[in-house]
Amino acid sequence: MNDGNKVILLVEDNPDDVALTLRAFKRSHLMNPITVARDGIEALDFMFARGDFADRAALPTIVILDLKLPKLDGLGVLKAMRADPRTQFLPVVILTSSKEEQDLISGYALGANSYVRKPVDFAEFLEAVKVLGIYWLMMNEVPPQGTAP
Amino acid sequence: MKISAKGWLATTTGLGTIALLAVMIWWANGEVESADRQRRRMSDVARVLNDLRLVTFEYVLYRNQRAYQQERQVSARLERQLEEPIFSDPEPSETLADLRRRSGETRQLFEELQANTNSRAADDSAQKLYEELISRKLLVLHQESLVDAFRLTDYSTARIAQAQQRVVGVILAGLALISLATAAAGWLIHRGVLAPIQRLQQATREVASGNWSFRLDIAGSDEIGEMSRNFDAMTTTLRNSFAQIERSNQELAALNREIEAFSYSVSHDLRAPLRSMDGFSLALLEDYGDRLDDEGREHLSRIRAASQRMGRLIDELLGLSRVTRTELVMRDIDLGAMARDIAISMQKLHPERDLRWEIAEPLIVRADKSLMQIAMQNLLENAWKFTGKTANAVIRVGIGEANGERHCFVADNGVGFDMSFADRLFGAFQRLHHESEFSGTGIGLAIVQRIFRRHEGRIWVQARPGEGATFFFSFKEPSHE
Repeated sequence: MNDGNKVILLVEDNPDDVALTLRAFKRSHLMNPITVARDGIEALDFMFARGDFADRAALPTIVILDLKLPKLDGLGVLKAMRADPRTQFLPVVILTSSKEEQDLISGYALGANSYVRKPVDFAEFLEAVKVLGIYWLMMNEVPPQGTAP
Repeated sequence: MKISAKGWLATTTGLGTIALLAVMIWWANGEVESADRQRRRMSDVARVLNDLRLVTFEYVLYRNQRAYQQERQVSARLERQLEEPIFSDPEPSETLADLRRRSGETRQLFEELQANTNSRAADDSAQKLYEELISRKLLVLHQESLVDAFRLTDYSTARIAQAQQRVVGVILAGLALISLATAAAGWLIHRGVLAPIQRLQQATREVASGNWSFRLDIAGSDEIGEMSRNFDAMTTTLRNSFAQIERSNQELAALNREIEAFSYSVSHDLRAPLRSMDGFSLALLEDYGDRLDDEGREHLSRIRAASQRMGRLIDELLGLSRVTRTELVMRDIDLGAMARDIAISMQKLHPERDLRWEIAEPLIVRADKSLMQIAMQNLLENAWKFTGKTANAVIRVGIGEANGERHCFVADNGVGFDMSFADRLFGAFQRLHHESEFSGTGIGLAIVQRIFRRHEGRIWVQARPGEGATFFFSFKEPSHE
C-alpha cells in the first residue's frame, strides 16, 4: 500500500533520534525512502538541490523537521521553505522535544502543517509516527508540482 | 532669619505702633482736656471781670451802697479765681500775673475812691476831679484786664485746636506706619513664603510626573530653606533608589531570560537522552528479548520506567516554571463546572472506581482560567488518588466562610496525613507517602500553591490520618460575591 517513490526528508541532528525515528517508521511498515539531513543548511541544500544534493532525484513528499538544529534552526528552515515557490506548499511536520507555547505559535505562524512533540515513551512515539505516516503519506492529497503562483 | 522670627518681629512692630498710637492719642486727649479747662476758667474770669467792670461803672455813676457791696463781692470772687495757677507756659503765666497785679491795683484804687467819696464835702471840686481821675483809671484798668482775659481765652482755644491738630497728625502718622508695616510684612511673606511655596508646588508636580532630577535649590536659613533642602535630599534619595530598582529590574529581566533559555534547553536537551534510553531499551526487548531471561527483561523494563518517570519529572518542573511565567488573565470562572468536567474525564478513564462526587455549582471566582484548570486538575487528581483504597469514597468541592473570609475547598475522605507534615506538603518533590503506595512526582501541590500565590490568594490544608484531607483556598477578591 506504500508508494515507494514518496521520499521523506528527516531533519534531525541527534543520531539516536535518527535511529529511533527510522526504527519507528520501519515498525509502522512505512517503506518510503528516508533522507536524513543533519542540520538546517543541509536540509535546504537537499530541497533546493544544491551542493552535495545537486543531483537529488525529486523533492521530498514530506519534511519532518526538528526545531533545535546546528547552523540554521528548524524555524529558519521553515521560513526559507515558505519563501521559495518550490517548497511553498510542501507539508512540514515539526517533530520536536519542545512543548513551549512560543515554539508552537511560531511554528504554525511560519506555515507548519503539524506539530508533534517527541514523547519519552517509545511506544507513544511509535503510535505518533504511525498516525503521521498514514495521514501524510497515504491520505493527504498534495498539490501538483509546479503549480506554485 | 526664621519665618517664625520674622512673624514675631512683624507682630511686635504692629502692636508697638498701635500702642504708641494709643499713648499719643491719650496724651493729646489730656492736652485738649487741660486746654479746655483753662479756657472755661478763663471764660469765668472774663465774665467776673465784666461783672466787676459793670458794678464799678455803676458805683462811679451813682456812688450807692448796693453797687459798692456788689463790687466787694465780685472783687472777692475774682481774687479767689485768680489765686490758683492756671497756666504753665511762661507767656500766659506772665499775662495772668499782670491780671493779678492789676486786680490788686484796681482794688486799691476802688478803696481809695470809696474813702474819698465818703470823706469829701459835696462841693469840693478838687476832690471831685481827683475822684474822676481815679474812676477813669479804674475803668481803663478793668478794660485792660478784660482784654487780657479774652486774650488768654483765645490762647486756650488756640491750644485746643493745636492739640486736636496734633491728634489728627499722630493718627495719620500711626496709620501710615501700620500700612507700611503691613505692606512690608506682605512683601516679606510673598518673597519668603508664597514664592517658595509656588516653587515647591511646581516641584511636587514635576516629581509626581516622574522628573526625579528636579531640584528646588531655595537657599536660606528659614523653615522653607530647610524644607527645600529636605525635599531635594528626598528626591535625590528617591532617584537613587529608583535607579537601583531599575537596575534590579533589569537584572531580574536578564535572569528571567536566562531561566527561560534554561528551561527551553531543559525541555529540549534533557529529554533527548531519556528518549534514547527508553527507545533502545524497548528495541533491545523487542529484538533480543528472547535471548534474555526474565531478570534481564525486568531490568530493561526498570530502565524504561525510570526514563519515563524522569520525563514526567522534567515536564512537571517545566509546568511549575511555566505557572510562574505565564501572564494572568483574570475573568469570572465557574470552578464547579470546571471540577465537574475534570471529574467526568477521570471517571471515564477509570470507570471501575466507585466514588461519589459532591460538587457545588455554580462556584464563581475571579481567576485565570488556564492556571485554575491546572490547580483543580492537581487537587482533584490528588483527592482521587488518595481515596483509591477507601470504601464509600467521597470527593467534595464547595464553598465556605471562616473569619469573614470566603474560601473554596476540595475535600476527600481518603488516607489523609499527619498534620505535622503539613508544612512540607507544598514543597517541590515532597511526598508524604511511598511511591509504591501512591504514584506521583511530588510537584503537583507545589504547582497548586504557586498558582494561588500568583493570584495573591492562599491555600491551606486540614487533614487527619485515615480520615481524609481538605484543601482550602481563597482569592484576593475585589468585590465579588
